[in-house]
Amino acid sequence: MKALYKNYFKGEKEDNPILKALQNVPIFSNLSKKELKEVTRLTHERTYKMDESIFKKMAPSEGMYVIVTGNVNILDPDTGTSFASLKNHDFFGELALLDEEPRSASAIAKSPSKLIGFFRTDLLTLMKRSPELGNKILLNLSRILGERLRKTNEELLINPNK
Amino acid sequence: MQPIQKIYRLLLIIIVSGLAWKILPFLASIIGMLVFSFLFTTIFLPSVDKMERFIKSRVLSVILILSSTSFISISFLALFFSNVSSQIKLFTKSINNEDFATNLSGLSNNMKGYLPDFISKLIPEGDNLIMMAKNTLVAIFQNILSILGSAGGFIFVSLIVLIFTIILLIEYHDFKRTLVQFIPNKYLEVGLRVIYNIEQQISKYLRGQILAASSVAMFSIIGLFILNQLNANITLIFFIGIIAGLANLIPMVGPFFGMIPAILISLMNNIGNETALLHQLFGVIPSPFYIFDIILMFIVVQQIDNNFITPLVVGESVGLHPMAVMIVLLIGGTLIGPVGMLFAIPAAGVIKVIIGEVIFISKNSHLL
Repeated sequence: MKALYKNYFKGEKEDNPILKALQNVPIFSNLSKKELKEVTRLTHERTYKMDESIFKKMAPSEGMYVIVTGNVNILDPDTGTSFASLKNHDFFGELALLDEEPRSASAIAKSPSKLIGFFRTDLLTLMKRSPELGNKILLNLSRILGERLRKTNEELLINPNK
Repeated sequence: MQPIQKIYRLLLIIIVSGLAWKILPFLASIIGMLVFSFLFTTIFLPSVDKMERFIKSRVLSVILILSSTSFISISFLALFFSNVSSQIKLFTKSINNEDFATNLSGLSNNMKGYLPDFISKLIPEGDNLIMMAKNTLVAIFQNILSILGSAGGFIFVSLIVLIFTIILLIEYHDFKRTLVQFIPNKYLEVGLRVIYNIEQQISKYLRGQILAASSVAMFSIIGLFILNQLNANITLIFFIGIIAGLANLIPMVGPFFGMIPAILISLMNNIGNETALLHQLFGVIPSPFYIFDIILMFIVVQQIDNNFITPLVVGESVGLHPMAVMIVLLIGGTLIGPVGMLFAIPAAGVIKVIIGEVIFISKNSHLL
């Protein structure tokens, strides 16, 4: 029962790699340290071997991942097209926090990687326990999606055949 | 996998299963306590989460909610036992009166008058009936006393369950995280979905059942109050209503257990009352001591609950076919008695979720 016997005089480690990784993710960007700690209590730390699949295209989606250390490739296994090569503090799969559509691409660890998983069920729990914090995250998520949509629109205007 | 490895694995499974089978009886009570604690955790979790929002301390939220619930439960039990003991004292006095014997003989003769000859021969004569009734009642009171005698054990178990519940409620989200750590990467997202669906299934079912039980309790109290207006002279209606509501948690058979206390109290209170002995339901059907009135009232309450309240608040929370519900109840009852019947439906719901996910995984294994 941490909460009961926690030593309040003992300083928290400031160089917590998970906190550091989350701070760099736009979805958690304007969260206070206390709020970030609350989020870390709900996230899941996972380690992946080189070439291990994180998720496959068309698999049911549950949430997003943040890379603490390592490299991840996002690709279409059918065509072999690589969409992105992600490294430390990058994130992917955030759309799954909002909808239950299957994954649109596969994610594979290109080196031994440590990831943090933040899933839809965690967001729902957070929205119940701390609605202000849940709303902050949702607002950030909407902002990111809006930015992406605007970017896509601009690209389509420049090159309609793309 | 090499054939020899397969054999070793099979042997290991057999040995572990055998050991588990041997150890299980010693762990059964602890497992039972953990199951109860988990169920209480599921019931109180939404309220604790909500309170934590306002007072910003999970420990304090848990303590506040559990202490207030414990206070209400203990007060209810204390009041219930003091009332029941005074009721029993009063009844023991009336048993020794002549009225009791006269009434039972009257009841025997009355029944014989209404029934055909071949059935009336089966009803014992007045004296035998008095002996039978006295022996039965003495046995009932002895059982009640032995139940009260085991209250020490019950208090110990309740205390342990309370401690487990406090720990589970405070650390629930951390426990869940720890559990998720054991899921292999391949099944992480599916595993999370299974846990979430199970949580939802149990909490939906439990909250629905509690709402339905509360409504049965309320309607039973109203029904008994109406019967009292017709001079049924039933005391402790508040407690009888709550017992009926609690009994309702066991599907199908529970409602029948629920009406027993009302019938017993009516019998106790109306011994020696000639009008109650000769009472007729709707002025036609003989209903000595308002027994059939009580049964009819509980049937009406059941109908209201089954047709209006349960579909509304419980809905198809578990989504089992009525036939499956009956089979599951029988299995639960055969394995661990009434407690098994109480947990049979939510357990079946959990198994249904797991089977659903296993089917999904086996169909979509190429995606994992």
